[in-house]
Amino acid sequence: MAALALDTATKGRNQQSGDATDGSQFLTFQLGDEVYGVDILRVQEIKGYTSVTKIPNQPSYIKGVMNLRGTIVPIIELRAKVGMETVDYTAHTVIVVVVVQDRIMGFVVDSVSDVLNISKQDIQAPPEFGTKVDVSFLNGIAKCGSNLVALLNIDRLLTDGDVRVAAGF
Amino acid sequence: MSDEFAQFQEAFFEEAAEHLAIVEEGLLALEQHPEDLDLLGKIFRSAHSIKGASGMFGFNAVAQFTHKMETLLDLLRNGHKTVTPQIADLLLKSTDCLKTLIDAAKNGSAVDDETVQRLSTDLATASDIKVKAEAKVETAPLPLTPHPSRCFHIAWTPPAWLFQRGLDPLQTFKELGSLGTLSEVQVDVTKLPELATMDPEACYLSWTMKLETVKGRDIVDAVFEFVHEDSVLVITEEVRGKESGVRGAERPSSTPHPLPLTPHGVEGEPKPLGEILVESGVVTRDALDKALSQQKRVGDILIEQHAATPQQISQALQKQRESAAHAKKGTDTASIRVDTAKIDKLINLVGELVITQSMLNDLGFRFEMCQMPVLLERLAQLERNTREIQERVMGIRMLPIGTAFSRFPRLVRDLSAKAGKKIQLVLSGEETELDKTVIEAIGDPLTHLVRNSADHGLEPPEERLDNNKPELGTIRLNAFHEGGNICITVEDDGRGLNRERILAKAVKQGLIGEADKIADDQIWALIFKPGFSTAEKVTDVSGRGVGMDVVKRNIDALGGTVNIKTELGKGTTFTLRLPLTLAIIEGMTIRVGKETYIVPLLSVVESIQPKIDAIKTVVGKGELINVRGTYLTMVRLYEVFSLQPEFTEPAKAILLILEMEGEQVALMVDEILGQQQVVIKSMEDNFRKVDGVAGATILSDGAVGFILDVRGVLEIARRGALMAA
Amino acid sequence: MSKTALVVDDSPTMRQMVAFTLTNAGFTVVEAENGKDAVNKVARGPKMDIVVTDLNMPEMDGITLIKELRKIEVFKFTPILMLTTESTEAKKKAGKEAGATGWIVKPFNPELMLKVIAKVLPV
Repeated sequence: MAALALDTATKGRNQQSGDATDGSQFLTFQLGDEVYGVDILRVQEIKGYTSVTKIPNQPSYIKGVMNLRGTIVPIIELRAKVGMETVDYTAHTVIVVVVVQDRIMGFVVDSVSDVLNISKQDIQAPPEFGTKVDVSFLNGIAKCGSNLVALLNIDRLLTDGDVRVAAGF
Repeated sequence: MSDEFAQFQEAFFEEAAEHLAIVEEGLLALEQHPEDLDLLGKIFRSAHSIKGASGMFGFNAVAQFTHKMETLLDLLRNGHKTVTPQIADLLLKSTDCLKTLIDAAKNGSAVDDETVQRLSTDLATASDIKVKAEAKVETAPLPLTPHPSRCFHIAWTPPAWLFQRGLDPLQTFKELGSLGTLSEVQVDVTKLPELATMDPEACYLSWTMKLETVKGRDIVDAVFEFVHEDSVLVITEEVRGKESGVRGAERPSSTPHPLPLTPHGVEGEPKPLGEILVESGVVTRDALDKALSQQKRVGDILIEQHAATPQQISQALQKQRESAAHAKKGTDTASIRVDTAKIDKLINLVGELVITQSMLNDLGFRFEMCQMPVLLERLAQLERNTREIQERVMGIRMLPIGTAFSRFPRLVRDLSAKAGKKIQLVLSGEETELDKTVIEAIGDPLTHLVRNSADHGLEPPEERLDNNKPELGTIRLNAFHEGGNICITVEDDGRGLNRERILAKAVKQGLIGEADKIADDQIWALIFKPGFSTAEKVTDVSGRGVGMDVVKRNIDALGGTVNIKTELGKGTTFTLRLPLTLAIIEGMTIRVGKETYIVPLLSVVESIQPKIDAIKTVVGKGELINVRGTYLTMVRLYEVFSLQPEFTEPAKAILLILEMEGEQVALMVDEILGQQQVVIKSMEDNFRKVDGVAGATILSDGAVGFILDVRGVLEIARRGALMAA
Repeated sequence: MSKTALVVDDSPTMRQMVAFTLTNAGFTVVEAENGKDAVNKVARGPKMDIVVTDLNMPEMDGITLIKELRKIEVFKFTPILMLTTESTEAKKKAGKEAGATGWIVKPFNPELMLKVIAKVLPV
């Protein structure tokens, strides 16, 4: 089921805040044709997409909950959350399970790409416009070879608006 | 305190709580039967156990205070004193005080020193002991100067029955040898009788020996601690070539200060400076006590030297106390004592499970279709094993409810004294077992109910007599199992709820309209509304209408229900119905469209297939359904949860009649799938509270299913109906 | 073979602490919660190398237990230590008359307890 095992995932998680982008490893994934990255220390595991149980009366980006070895984990539709249109799931669709403030959550992405080392110098402040995503969900943009990677601030992402409650604040 | 024993502290606090309960219960019973010596013995033993164990952990305040209680209890137990109401009262108050001392040892919580002091004095006075101010502060110890090597000559004739008390002279020699160099050991066999007349179990030998050691005389004496009184023992010390200081059984007076075998004595730890000065005669005991009493605390000294203001000091002290309390709380782990028999049984069951598993394993590798019956049988066996293990594991958390009841005799005693009413409390079903967490959670609601009965339910004695009722009012607490639940009833034979008065008040508070027709059950439910109290006067016992709504909230939170039965002039019965455990519920699985939900079985009254003409729509109230003449609110679950149902016509669907807070509603679902126990998982751990959902669970196919919060569902439906109106 | 000890105390905490100390010292410990329980457990059971008993207990107190044990053949010469809170002479005397070998005064720590045991038994 797990598409990728990450030994480093559990190391030092929770100690890193969403802003910690000083020279670390990032798990990158695709949403549409754009590449996004999330601090690997926040990633617990990656799961192939399995069906989830819908939670009644929730915003559309809250996909539902799933059973992760006996733990009830909420799943966020990342496309819907960041304001992109949703697409049908494919064999590449995966759930990235992350830890935010001691809480476990998953978000659905089109596919995972790679684990990249990105140094602090390569990270720039997010542009005011020009991405398909609400820039307030980004920590910055990193140049990686010829690619641009949008670094996701998962604390911000998962604590925004009414999901703020979801993250337990 | 010994660090190795620190791990037993938690066990001690648990045990102490049990002993406190025994002492308190015992003292209350003692008021009725002051002559009961067995009871006194039991109370004494509990106090004694607290004292003994608290000392082991260095909780000296607890040990000292308990010692004073124990002294008085010992006098009562031996008939040297008789139990008077004053003494019983003093002991009860002391038990309360002891509780605070133990809490202080546990959590670092505050202790009222004045009360401790006053009760200590009262206890001592009651035990005819003269009280004397105690010196508390220890002074700096003097550094130890090593003793020069000394030489002792020892002559020892043990008693003939030495062996019969399990004593072995060899061990004594070993111990002496461990103190220094033992030499010139000579055995005297002159007392040995003829073989024919010899008693093989008696000791006829005596010894002389020489011991060179740096240890003091008291240490050498301590070697013979168990035998010296029964032996002929002469220990002489060579000092500068001369022998001095004779000590022996025949001259016990030569040692004016025999040291008891205490940690201090044996370890040879230094004494406080003051003690040494007193012993050596430099200062008198009085002078020392006086000096010690003048010793100041750091805070006082700082204030005097204007280094800090009293406010700063008191703030710092407060901080110190808080951090102490905090530090202790942090390590406070929840633990539970389990009967070893329960664990043994569990281990056996796990053993059986392993056997069943290996049999299945075996079968799986060489399975042929003809073995199907064997497979089915073993699977059945596996199911039995699993179920039994589950039950036993849950059983580990089960405790008799008596622990929650035990506080009430005292409470009722105090309440009746305060309210000037005569009240007897009758307890039954104390042995009924339920989950520890539930027991802990129902303490407060039960207290509120008992207080309510004592204060509002029962009438004053005159009023009772006027109404031809016995002067003595009765409150009954009962517990029993009913299905998968526990029922606890709080019953009084008081005045009963007054329908008219509750209605009037509800109208006044705008809770209901004047013209509303309301069933009795719903009227009684009104007393659980926040701020609702019909008591004419506010007392310090029941307060101002707080309590009943809290009771309701607490019971709701536990997934339980409260029912009221009352009859004017006859009394009131509150029935709490609670799950045995908070971890597992008995649920009914239902389906709406593709979704599966679990309804707590506790709230399901019945299921019906409605007739289409039984349903009518009322503006502002939504749909109502006529069930045998009563109109119930009908809730379509698919509407509440915005689902795609299989059926939208009630006549094709199923209606579950659910009950909560004395109110019945009809919930429309597609299908009832069955009934099963489900393990409750929290939604809030990783997500948040979801309206209409009480929790989640893992269904048999591994998917997540939601447990319905019936009241939440109804609230969503009502909001919808209001908006529609 | 490890030595065996019988620990008798109605207080589970005290019993556990004594048993803990003895177990760490290499003893195999049999626990009993009062005198009656103790007699039941050892009457036909194995011989004990040492007995450590509390005095104040329900059902059967420590003094009675010591007397009962001394009546059992295999306990005739077994060291029996009493746990006492007060080291009062009266208690010691009663204990000795019943056949107690010695006493351990509470509070104690493991080291002290083993030291007392060493007085009567090779540890």
